[in-house]
Amino acid sequence: MGTARLALPSLGVTLLVAVGSASAFAADSDEIARGKYIATASDCEACHTRSGGKPLAGGLPLESPLGVIYSTNITPSRQYGIGTYSLQKFSNALRAGIRGDGAHLYPAMPYASYARLTDDDIKALYAYFMQQVQPVDEPAAKQTSLPFPYNMRFSMAFWNALFLDSKPFAPDPSQSAEWNRGKYLVDGAAHCGECHTPRGFFMQQKHSQEFGGAVIGSWYAPNITPDANSGIGALSADELFRYLKFGKVAGKAQAGGEMALAVQLSFSRLSDEDLHAMVSYLRSVPALPDPHAKSKFMQGGPFSDVTSFRGVGGMSYDRSLPGGAAQLFAANCAACHGIAARGSRDTYFPSLFHNSALAAGGGRNVIATILFGISRSPTDGLAFMPGFGGKTTDIADLSDEQVAQLANFLLQHYGDTRYSVTPNLVKQVRDGQSPAPVLMTLVTVGEWVGGTLLSVLVIWFVARHSSRTFARSQSS
Amino acid sequence: MNSKTGADGVIAGTGIVGCLIAEQMLDAGLSVVMLEAGPDIDRGRIVENYRNMPPSTKFLLPDGPFPPVPWALHPTAYTGNPEKDYLITTGPDAKAYQQTYVRYVGGSTWHWAGTLWRLTPEDMMIKSKFGRGRDWPFDYSVLEPYYTRAEDAIGAAGPSDPALQWPPIRSKPYMMEVFPYGSGQKRCAQAAESIGLRYIPCAQARNNKLAYQGRPPCSGNNNCQPVCPIAAKYDAYSSIPRIKAKGGAVLTNAVVYRVETDDKNHVQALHYYAPDKSSMRVTGKTFVLACNGIETPKVLLFSRNDKNPNGVANRSDQVGRNMMDTPKMFVLAQFKEPVWNGLGPMSPGAIMSTSQGEFRSQYAGGQILLVNLSGANTAGLNALKQKLVGRALDEAIRRETACGGVFSVEHEVLADAENRLTLSDNKDVLGLNKPAIHYDVGDYVRKGADLHTFPITEKLAKALGAEKVTRVPGFFPSQHIMGGAIMGNDATTSVVDPDCRAHDHSNLFLPGGAAMPSGAAGNSTLTMAALAIKAADAIVAQTKRG
Repeated sequence: MGTARLALPSLGVTLLVAVGSASAFAADSDEIARGKYIATASDCEACHTRSGGKPLAGGLPLESPLGVIYSTNITPSRQYGIGTYSLQKFSNALRAGIRGDGAHLYPAMPYASYARLTDDDIKALYAYFMQQVQPVDEPAAKQTSLPFPYNMRFSMAFWNALFLDSKPFAPDPSQSAEWNRGKYLVDGAAHCGECHTPRGFFMQQKHSQEFGGAVIGSWYAPNITPDANSGIGALSADELFRYLKFGKVAGKAQAGGEMALAVQLSFSRLSDEDLHAMVSYLRSVPALPDPHAKSKFMQGGPFSDVTSFRGVGGMSYDRSLPGGAAQLFAANCAACHGIAARGSRDTYFPSLFHNSALAAGGGRNVIATILFGISRSPTDGLAFMPGFGGKTTDIADLSDEQVAQLANFLLQHYGDTRYSVTPNLVKQVRDGQSPAPVLMTLVTVGEWVGGTLLSVLVIWFVARHSSRTFARSQSS
Repeated sequence: MNSKTGADGVIAGTGIVGCLIAEQMLDAGLSVVMLEAGPDIDRGRIVENYRNMPPSTKFLLPDGPFPPVPWALHPTAYTGNPEKDYLITTGPDAKAYQQTYVRYVGGSTWHWAGTLWRLTPEDMMIKSKFGRGRDWPFDYSVLEPYYTRAEDAIGAAGPSDPALQWPPIRSKPYMMEVFPYGSGQKRCAQAAESIGLRYIPCAQARNNKLAYQGRPPCSGNNNCQPVCPIAAKYDAYSSIPRIKAKGGAVLTNAVVYRVETDDKNHVQALHYYAPDKSSMRVTGKTFVLACNGIETPKVLLFSRNDKNPNGVANRSDQVGRNMMDTPKMFVLAQFKEPVWNGLGPMSPGAIMSTSQGEFRSQYAGGQILLVNLSGANTAGLNALKQKLVGRALDEAIRRETACGGVFSVEHEVLADAENRLTLSDNKDVLGLNKPAIHYDVGDYVRKGADLHTFPITEKLAKALGAEKVTRVPGFFPSQHIMGGAIMGNDATTSVVDPDCRAHDHSNLFLPGGAAMPSGAAGNSTLTMAALAIKAADAIVAQTKRG
């Protein structure tokens, strides 16, 4: 955090630095430190470093049904990275989605958000990437090579013309400096809306439903507007701050999937002032109530059905369990979460009732958590749940049917009883698929009939929505 | 006879030894087929079996959650009736060799404590130093790198302070820091200090504060035996998905009963029975029996043929001989003040120095430890027996749980050719003879317990505030099965060479506990794992040569 403090001596200066007009006061080392901080806030590392690979050297696969998209080497290697980029080219890549050679980036790169970054911060980022990031003089482990027509990057220009807002952030003088800093980070570097805002027909973010919650790959990125039932309105500012810093609100919410990674690599390394600023802004955005929602922090209660099966069948080498879903829970979950799902007293193992993971997004995150587990290392130590999805590092190999059975048991007793899930949904989550949109169907039918724009949009959609966590595990 | 072309490596047994060798062979680009006599049972089923056990049997039967399949029996509750028991033991200490092991995929690491003691240099030279037992054919410096590799393969949490390491001769620090002591262990360490002894933390095969190989950090279920419900403790079962992903084939319910040799005495194939007794022959280049000290000699003895009339690998007549364990003495204590055992792993520490010394020329040493098992279960049963109810019941349970303690003292036994495994006349459903073992812990151990370990344990218990100290008569098994295919340089007095290769068959390896010439007072698994990795180096090298 020393770096961050150096770069952000006070909130006032922060604001000035972040959003003020071009300022020449920063000495080189200060500027580099600030650039590094913005890179952390932007979470570049999460996508541009593959598991076991060199930092920022790319090669992380993003699984998609159209083919695999690989992140690129963004180290200052002149041959394989961005070493030859001028500041202008660097800025174009980040804010306009145009690569050094003039080709369009797939919007797997969140340039629509990075477009909010100020000239000053772009300059600092540039200084950091060029002067402090170690060049990796090797190509990314793999390069994206999608088949026709998905390989026609130029059609992104049409989409950009329609949906890309290229104006950098301008502060709202009627709001506090903290609010402005928060909005700048939330909309820009932290690119929260990329996951949490639902998409329209053309896969553009629907600004009318900003932060209202959306499916992204295997996971559901929940509603983070201040609505008390379906959003974050019932959480205090301090709880939200701790969520960003440590990845959990004891007994109520915990970061999984890509959010765990965002907490670990980005938010937990930001200054407390910046986290408070982000919370402050998020608490001010328009609340988006789900008209049917019950409070996602108040569902379910302690429950155990253990007496219905304990002792039944005695000791057996038959793998099937006579107690059905309730015994599946006992066998796989209860050792940590407790037989009545109360969790541990120190909250390391969360209680499952009153837990938002079981009361949002149709139960998708229940499935994803069972399959992939949780792994999060913010500054206060490891939070870990093993996967039960049958990957080589998982401790169990539950089938789609078993996961659905278990998830429905959890939702019925500890979560939102409106939800029930199917083995088919489990399979989709396992494969990292978002629900197929109408657009996808159109493209599949019409891809040879001039549907180029649509096709490329689909690539983008899929890339954005593929679970990077899943992709990581595939690559490890 | 059905026949399959196997693989570069054909490995019988899917426990820690078989799995370490399989993974190393696969990593070297060799193909592997593993044959497991028992079924593949998932952790959830085993955990539920454990919870289904009646409380009165929970502590007594570590094998309880692992009901054997009829075609691959393993020892269960001892009856003394050879018709009923799988492992038939005889001799003065018959009961003390009623080992528990598991014939399931993953083997007996399902229910090990996860204790990672190493041997000391002197433990490997008891013949030359003390004139007793057998020496190893190499010294500690040869074994040390393999210990290190085994610890890294398993994921070891151990002390970084050399003063607390056993032995403090290490080429690499432990991957994870050792677990802190709970209340009982802390007090026991203080009591030991007060009588001039050092109670040291035991390196553990369980994750401390980090996830290793996808397995979570230990959360202190205090349930290591008979099963870690969350796989924080290493068990070989957790390496099976990795082995399969690397291309290894794992055949279950494949009961290996014969090693086939050709006229040059090379091994040609392993033969196994399916549960319906149909037989299958698996060929390959290199063969490994990784079935530990009882099943490995059993298969070798079954495999007798014209060229090997005493059984395969048995020119020395040492197959099945020198059966060892670390004979266990229990000492029960009632403390004046609460000690509170049961927080964290079950075997977090021990006094090891009591296993070493010049006295070894006269009698056995042993490790002395306060078992870190919550006494609530037995306390509850005892209180119920007294027909207590209500508050009196609660108080009695609480008092005994807090103030009770069990010391476990595990002794060094010597390799003795008369402690011998043979094929009994009793047969299982496949018509295979059940193993019989004659066992006598010997005067060496009895004297060691009487003159050395019990007096020290009594002193330790009193220093810990015991009002009452009771030595349980006799000895008990520690499940540290050693011997049966003993290692040496001389083919006339030993079964395998220093790489665990059979003297009589250059492409047959018998690694693990069966090969150990001495076991001292420590737990055997880490040494078995180190021998597995040493053997795997040799196996990879010779299989690649072709």
